[in-house]
Amino acid sequence: MFEVLLYDGGVYRSEELFELIEDAGGTVIQKTRSSQMLSVTMSIPEEDRAVITAFCKEIGGEVKSVPLAGTEIAVVGPTLGRHHMPHPICDIAEHLRKQGAITVVMGLARGRGKLTSQINLEEKMIIGEYDAAIFSLGNFKPCVEAKTDLFSDIRAPVVLVSGPMPEGAENKCEAIVSGVGRKASRMRTPPEREKLDEIADKVGKILRDKKKLLDEDPLFIHPTEIKHLLEEYEPVNMCLRPAPVVLHLDGLRVKIGYGEHHEDIENMEIYGRKVGDICRLSPSKINDSSILIRIKTRSEVLQEDSVKEGGNDP
Amino acid sequence: MDIEVIAEDEFGGESYRNLFGEIMADVGKAVQMEKALLVLKPEIPLFIFSVKLRAEPVSKTVADVTNIRTEGGTVYITITEERYAPDILKGLWARYGRNSVEQKTRLDIEVRNASEKDAGSLVVASGEEHLKEIIGAVWRSMPEGIKNRHTFIDGQVITVVATEERFEPHMLDEGSEYHRKMTEAGKDV
Repeated sequence: MFEVLLYDGGVYRSEELFELIEDAGGTVIQKTRSSQMLSVTMSIPEEDRAVITAFCKEIGGEVKSVPLAGTEIAVVGPTLGRHHMPHPICDIAEHLRKQGAITVVMGLARGRGKLTSQINLEEKMIIGEYDAAIFSLGNFKPCVEAKTDLFSDIRAPVVLVSGPMPEGAENKCEAIVSGVGRKASRMRTPPEREKLDEIADKVGKILRDKKKLLDEDPLFIHPTEIKHLLEEYEPVNMCLRPAPVVLHLDGLRVKIGYGEHHEDIENMEIYGRKVGDICRLSPSKINDSSILIRIKTRSEVLQEDSVKEGGNDP
Repeated sequence: MDIEVIAEDEFGGESYRNLFGEIMADVGKAVQMEKALLVLKPEIPLFIFSVKLRAEPVSKTVADVTNIRTEGGTVYITITEERYAPDILKGLWARYGRNSVEQKTRLDIEVRNASEKDAGSLVVASGEEHLKEIIGAVWRSMPEGIKNRHTFIDGQVITVVATEERFEPHMLDEGSEYHRKMTEAGKDV
């Protein structure tokens, strides 16, 4: 079994750490450097944890488990107005980042109000690009219940976070966490920290279930392998956006333009196959500046192979 | 500040009691409020927020918030209410120019070539501005989607009635009734 860990420390002797991860058969999922500080999210074999932890301590860093690593989660509020931001939306996003997830905070264009709130198709498709979405609603039960239609048909699994426990929302989302409504200050008291843990636990469980579902028909290739390939591609290497390649459970998000680069990526080779043959590339719905890569499952690739072979038969 | 909440939704009522207190403290208006009444009816939706101020918002001049005296053609000003200090300095600079105004310490200002009467009559905070700030703070504490608002103002009492779509007569009547109660009541509203 592989375990995902986060190293938090300096850049001192970090090259040795990368070599150690590689020697252990592990992989670096995410590497973020800020000045002389370095955060490395790594996936390593469980039995090598002690060795890697000891080395990280030796070079002055800290290691902790990050169960949400390798996922991208959207935290959605009715709007980005000061009524909903920065608390509790940013507190939730920050807590999920501490658990290893890459988070995106977004607000709907017309999500405010009980009678007038709405979500459009484009917003639904954007939210659907993420591994999971958290909808943070308010303090009044009738308002929360009226707004459950905002997330009832989103492709990504949804966790509803609201003040009171709404009725009739159980079938419209994967999980509900009550007790977190509109706030004017940071969530830092022990009960509030427990609520944040509860949200992270619920998201973690949903993502574990999603992983199990994926394991029934596994991906043809692990997303980290595509990531390593992309990191050698110059436009990705030169990309100044934070985390230019973000892992999803079933693929990746690459933060370079689709129109300009998708053909180059499709023509890259890995294990004797073109990336375009084993993945589906599409532009992100946010704008043209990101590419979504969905990796096909083994059965899909095998079926396509057999169709091709059949097609070639005289 | 005493906050009274009238709401059927227990969680929402308690949350808004805390929210209102925290937001008013954040924007520095809590000290000016004697009492607040929050009527929350999210099922309609109708929200009535009424606040009773400790004092009616009136214009403040330099003489109201400072000790002022003249010696040998120079006006000496000692600020007694520090929160007006930036506005006093701004007003004096605008009227007499930066060369004539010298800030000796945080609260002591000397103005050359000025008269005590003239400097003392300078308005540093208008009552209307103060009122706008309080109404803005009340709006800020209300739910975001409740955009259709009507404000009643009488002396020390400000009442904001808000709903999401169009006002119906009974909403304004209810708001007006709570406003009247707050206006007529003494300290034990």
